[in-house]
Amino acid sequence: MRKPFHYPLADSDSLPRLREQLLQHLPFESAPPETYQVHYYDSFDWRLFQANKVLAWQQQNADSQLCLLNTGDDSTRTAIRLEHQPPRFAEELPQGQLRQELDDLLGLRAFLPVASIETRSLACQWIDKEGKTRLRLYLEHHKLVQPGGKRSTLCKQIRVAPLQGYAKAAKRVTSILEKELALCPGDGDLLSQALVSMHRVPGNYSSKLNIPLEPELRADAAMRRILLTLLEAMEINEAGTIANLDTEFLHDFRVAVRRTRSALGQMKSVYPPATLARFRDKFAWLGSITSPTRDLDVYLLKFENYRNQLPGNLQADLKPLRAFLNRHHEQEQIRLSGALKTAAYRQLKNQWRRYLTAPLPQRPAAGDARKPIGEVGPRRTWRMYKRVLREGQAITPASPAEALHDLRKSCKKLRYLMEFFQHLYPAKQIRALIKELKGLQENLGDFQDLEVQIHTLKQYSEQMKQEGDMTPRTELAMEFLLMSLETRMQEVRGIFESRFEQFACKSNETRFRGLFNPSQV
Amino acid sequence: MKPDSEVYLTRARSEDNTMKVIACYNIKGGVGKTASAVNLAYLSAREGNSTLVWDLDPQGASSFYFRIKPKVKGGAQGLLRRKRVLDDVIKATDYDRLDLIPADFSYRNMDLTLERFRKSSTRLRKLIEPVQSDYDYLFLDCPPNISLVSENVFEAADVMLVPTIPTTLSIRTLYQLLRFCDKRKYKHLDILPFFSMVDRRKILHRGMLEDPPRTRSGFLTSDIPYSSEVEQMGVKRAPLATYAHNSRIADAYRSLWRELNSRMDHPSA
Repeated sequence: MRKPFHYPLADSDSLPRLREQLLQHLPFESAPPETYQVHYYDSFDWRLFQANKVLAWQQQNADSQLCLLNTGDDSTRTAIRLEHQPPRFAEELPQGQLRQELDDLLGLRAFLPVASIETRSLACQWIDKEGKTRLRLYLEHHKLVQPGGKRSTLCKQIRVAPLQGYAKAAKRVTSILEKELALCPGDGDLLSQALVSMHRVPGNYSSKLNIPLEPELRADAAMRRILLTLLEAMEINEAGTIANLDTEFLHDFRVAVRRTRSALGQMKSVYPPATLARFRDKFAWLGSITSPTRDLDVYLLKFENYRNQLPGNLQADLKPLRAFLNRHHEQEQIRLSGALKTAAYRQLKNQWRRYLTAPLPQRPAAGDARKPIGEVGPRRTWRMYKRVLREGQAITPASPAEALHDLRKSCKKLRYLMEFFQHLYPAKQIRALIKELKGLQENLGDFQDLEVQIHTLKQYSEQMKQEGDMTPRTELAMEFLLMSLETRMQEVRGIFESRFEQFACKSNETRFRGLFNPSQV
Repeated sequence: MKPDSEVYLTRARSEDNTMKVIACYNIKGGVGKTASAVNLAYLSAREGNSTLVWDLDPQGASSFYFRIKPKVKGGAQGLLRRKRVLDDVIKATDYDRLDLIPADFSYRNMDLTLERFRKSSTRLRKLIEPVQSDYDYLFLDCPPNISLVSENVFEAADVMLVPTIPTTLSIRTLYQLLRFCDKRKYKHLDILPFFSMVDRRKILHRGMLEDPPRTRSGFLTSDIPYSSEVEQMGVKRAPLATYAHNSRIADAYRSLWRELNSRMDHPSA
C-alpha cells in the first residue's frame, strides 16, 4: 500500500459533477456510491494519541473491522473483523496482535468514543486494458455524527489511493487534480478536523503533576494554584468514577484527593488554621468513601495473578473469590457513586473552590503565607527528606511492619512535595532524585500491598464463610494463595535494607541537600 | 480511512510474527502448483494476512491470473544482483493485502545467473529478507524441474506444499524429491504433499487416497478435486473464491488452507 493523497474540496462542490469532470480526463470506471461510518476511540488520557495512533471501528454493512491506525496516514497492519461495537477493554478482544498492541498501549484504560464520522463515497477505478486496477480514487463527503445522531458536514475531499507498483498512474492523476482542477493537497486528517469542530483538545489530560511556579510567588498563592489543579483533576475524573468506565478514573480521583490532603498537611503554615482544620476533615472523609471500591478494584485486577500463583488443579477453585469480589464491588460502586452525587460532596467542592479562588489576604494569619514559595517549598521538602532518613535508619530486621508502613507514608509525602514544587528546580536534577525515591517507594509499596492483601484476604475468607460462598477446595486454594503471598512478602522485606541504603547513600544526600538546602552545602 | 482498501488485517499471523514462506512446488508440471499458490494466497489475504506471491515460473501463470504484466525491470539479473530492491518490483493485485512479484521471461535463465554467486543456493533467502517485516506470508509459485532455483526455494521456504496427482508416476516423482531433500538435509523445511486434481471416479485415485504413500510429514488430509472451475481461472483471471465462492473446489481450497495453518502453528501435528 502506498500513502494516499488528499485534496480538500469546498463544501459547495458537487461530488457527482467533479466525478464527471474527472471521467473526461482519465480512463476511470465509476462504482456505485457507498456509505460507511468510522468510530474513533482513545483512552480518557489519550494514550493512543500520545503514541500517534487511534483505534477505529469501521462499520460498513456486514464488513466491519476494528483497526489501530497511525494518525496522519491512516496506515495499519493490525486489525480484526468485528461485527459488533468494540468492547471496553483490550482484554475482551480476541487473542492476537491487535489485542496485544492495545494492551501494551492502554493497560487498564477503557476505549472511550472520541468521534464518529459518516462518509458517503463515490469511487472511481483506473482499470487498464488487462482489466487490472491501477489506482482507486474516492470523492468523499464526511459528516460528523453527534452523540444524539445528528449529522453535520465535516468536509469534502478527494482521496487518491495509489497501488504499489503503479506510481505512474498516481503521478498522472495527482497532476491532473493539481493542474487541471487547481486543487491543493491537504493532510486528510479527518479525526483532527472532527476534534476541532467538537472543541476537543487531544492530549489535554495527564495524571502527572506539572504546575508552573515562580520562586518569588507567595506560598499561599502557589499552594492555591496546586490545589486548584488537584480539584480540577478530581472533577475531571468524577464522571468516569461514577460511571465506573475503568478503574483508572477512581485511581486518579483518589490520587488527587491524597495529594490534596498531603498539600494541606505538609504545608500547614501557609493556610488559615480554621480553614485547614475544616478541609482536612472533609478530604479525609472523601478519601475514606473511595477506599472500599478501590480495594476491591485492586483485588479484581490482581485476580489473574492470584490464580497463576496456585497449582493447576486448584486454579478453578478460586472462582468463588472472584464472584465474591464482583458482588461486593458492585455494592461498593453503588455506594461510592451515591456519595459523589450527594449535597455534602457538592458543597465540599463549591466551598473549596470558593476558598481557592478568593482574593489573597493582605495580612494573612498563617506565618508562611506571604513568604516566597521558592523558600518555603524547598525547606519543607528538606525537612521531610530528613524525616524519611531518620525513620528508615531506625528500621532493623526486627522492626514491625508498622515501621515500614510509616516510612512508606513519609516517602509518599516527600514524593508529593517534590512533585508539587518540581518547577522550582532544574528539571534534570529533580527528575533524577524522584527516580531514586521511586526505587525505595516501589519496595515499600510492594511490602505494604502484600501485607494488606494477606490481611484482607483473610478477612474475605471469613466473610465468604459467613455468606455461604466458601467450599473446602476454595478454602484450600485461598490458603495456598496466602502462603504464596507471605513468601513473596518475606522476599520483598528481605531487600528493603539494600534499597534503603541505596536511597540514603552519601551521594544522594549531597544531591538532596544541593537542591533543597543549598545554604548548608 | 476507507474500508478494506487501506487496512491490513492480521488475524492469522504466525505466532512468532515472522513471515512464513510457503513454496508450491513439484518437479512435475501441470499438477496445480499455480492454482494452489493463487487460491491459498487469496484466502490468506482475505483472512487478514498481508500476503505476497512471487511468480518464479517464467511462464508467468500467476501473473496472468492476477492480470499483471509478467515483466520485472532489470529481469532476474537485476534482482539477483540486487541492482533493484524487491520492494521496487512488487505490484499490488486487485485484492486487499495481496501483492505479487511478477514473473519475467528472464527467469528461464535464473539458474545460470545464480551459479555466478558464491553461496548460490541461499541467494533467494537473502533477497526476501528485506520484506520479512512487511508480510505475514510469502507464496513461491515455483517452476517445474529440479535445479539451482529449486535449491534456493528449499533454502528459503519454511513449508513446501507439493500438489501430487494420485498416480504412480507422480508418486515416483514425489519420492525423488523427498530423497533429494533428505540427502541435502533441509531440516527447517516441512514438506507437505497433498493430493491434487483428484478424480474419485478413477479406481487408482481412490486407492491412493485411501492408502497414501508414507512420507516423513505425511500427506495433508485435504485434497483438491479435479474441477473445470479451476480451468475457468484462466478465463476469469481471478482466484476461484471470487467467482465460484460456493463451489466444492473453493471449499476444498479453504479446508486445505485451514489444515495448512494448523500444521504451521503446530508443526509436529
